[in-house]
Amino acid sequence: MRRLGIALVASIALAGCVQTRQYADVEFAPPQGNYKLLVMRPDVTVGSVTTGGLVEPRADWTETARVKLLAALRAQQAERGGNVLILDRRDSLPGVDPDTIADLERLHYAVGSSIALHRYSGAYLPTKRNKGLDWTLGEDAVALGRRTGYDYALFLHAEDSFASTGRVALQVIGVAGCFVGFCAPNIGGAGQFAYASLVDLRTGEVVWFNVLQAGSQIAGIKMGDIRTDAGAAQMVDRLLDRMKPGRHVRRRQAEAK
Amino acid sequence: MIAPISRRAMLAGGAALGAGLVSGVAEARILPRDMVPLIGPGYRAVDQDEKGLWQLMERVEEEVSGSNLLIKDPRLTSYLGTLIGNVGGPAAKDMRIYLARIPEFNAVMFPTGFAVIFSGLLLRMRNEAQLAGVVAHESAHFLRKHQLRQWRDARRKTDVFSFLAMGAGVAGGAAGIYAGDLVQLAQLGTILSLLRYNRTLEAEADAMGVRLLAEAGYDPTAMSETWQQLIGELDMSAKYRRKKRDRDFSLFSTHPAPESRMADLRISAAEAKLPGRSYDAYRDRYLAALSSTRPTLLDDQVKLNDPGASQYVINTLAKDGWNGLLRFHEGEIWRLRNRSGDDVRAAQGYAASILYADAPADAWRWHGIMLLKQGRSTEARAAFAHYLKMAPNAPDAPLVRQMMAG
Repeated sequence: MRRLGIALVASIALAGCVQTRQYADVEFAPPQGNYKLLVMRPDVTVGSVTTGGLVEPRADWTETARVKLLAALRAQQAERGGNVLILDRRDSLPGVDPDTIADLERLHYAVGSSIALHRYSGAYLPTKRNKGLDWTLGEDAVALGRRTGYDYALFLHAEDSFASTGRVALQVIGVAGCFVGFCAPNIGGAGQFAYASLVDLRTGEVVWFNVLQAGSQIAGIKMGDIRTDAGAAQMVDRLLDRMKPGRHVRRRQAEAK
Repeated sequence: MIAPISRRAMLAGGAALGAGLVSGVAEARILPRDMVPLIGPGYRAVDQDEKGLWQLMERVEEEVSGSNLLIKDPRLTSYLGTLIGNVGGPAAKDMRIYLARIPEFNAVMFPTGFAVIFSGLLLRMRNEAQLAGVVAHESAHFLRKHQLRQWRDARRKTDVFSFLAMGAGVAGGAAGIYAGDLVQLAQLGTILSLLRYNRTLEAEADAMGVRLLAEAGYDPTAMSETWQQLIGELDMSAKYRRKKRDRDFSLFSTHPAPESRMADLRISAAEAKLPGRSYDAYRDRYLAALSSTRPTLLDDQVKLNDPGASQYVINTLAKDGWNGLLRFHEGEIWRLRNRSGDDVRAAQGYAASILYADAPADAWRWHGIMLLKQGRSTEARAAFAHYLKMAPNAPDAPLVRQMMAG
């Protein structure tokens, strides 16, 4: 019985985790001082994990989380000195047609999927080796920057989900089963997934990309909750607050020291 | 303390569970008169799960409505709007239709009441009643809250399965027996049961579609004709590729087999017709609405290079009479396949096309080229002259002029 307890604690410790992995253009320097940032309409979904493990979207939670995330983002950017405009809707950028914004969002979706595939999912490309982050949105992004005077565009996607009572009950049975020799201590299913992508509107290039995953394998144990002020601030912090400069920039900094 | 359960008793229980979930493979026909709408006009999401689904779908609709795949011809879109007004039942004013340029036979209804119709479907319909039949089938999905019911069914069955699987594991663990096989059986049962529910909903939509169609004064037999056409097309397409159409009814299908759908639709249509009332197919209205789009639809289909299917589609449309446009595309099928002897068949198609007053300019152009290949240069010159008269600003006009001179 004691050995089982130790094993359980170990599996719990291993099961809960928060992970981020970021890539940057080799010449990327995190924006500082008086820059102008355009935050594209953030794509937020919050759901509940059913007993069977399906994620059921929740309209009220999603709406709350969206508002909290935007507030957290505003607060975080104000600290860094940025001049921020967050697009609530596609038509909330004065003087720019909502279709132009929609096109850029779709373009970014395609480019972002390519980054996810070739940087995160293991399908590495030999032509991109040692090049940091080497993707661009091209002329369309530059044109938007020229027209609006913004230096950067940030694309955000966030998902969060929580175990339902049924899922937690199932987890309890799974853990209880360990005492009779059938052990299912980590059925999991809930957690956070988010990514952020920073585009330099002066060059059109995607200069920085970060993916965050947070979740525990034990249903009922949360590693964050973007429906709360603190949880939203935590996600913004995990996702955006530790931007690392590009490889060449870091090398030059090391040489200068 | 959990009472020990014998392995045999558990296996028997699991088998009964599995059998119970998949039994009733021969599904009974759903009667059109039982298909009453479950929602009224101006319906909005009520329950929590439905609200979540709607919020998600609003984003989807935003993407769909802004897609560059849509055909935005105002005449055609307003025509489709009228159709949904005719067969949309109580939600007629709430539903939206988007027409996507995808050369496939398909249409999709989303839980919030917007439908996407593929252009390939428009090409295959011989009259308005057939198209209204598809629209009615899709409206029925919305009126009977199918997506929501399907979601709830999936949620309930996966919930039950999870508890049973976990329970079986724990009980097996306590009794010292391995329950993995049993759990796998139950898992298969759950999956089959979900698919079976999906087929039931499709059958419901068919039955209600027939009803909506007849109520709007369309000939409800149009729906079974559509299925007959689809079966014929799949057979022909497979035959030209020297393959057989997959015709086995499968437990793994999301939709009922086309043959059984066609049979059920035919019986339902007879049932839905009221004696003394007249029903129309409205062919002329359909052709008028489609006139400017049909050349593009035919072109998209022919370029799929699926000669069996294309030939079948053209022959089906020609049942209402051949014309220059259909003959021209018949020629195009063989020119694009380009196997030995196909050039002769293509030439025949173009030669037949130009006999009709509505032959497109390209029919004259290709007719000329084919004549030139056969060494009939005088006739070719006449055909080219006709082409240039019809399309004086064609990008290849200088080339054609040179061919005429040479």
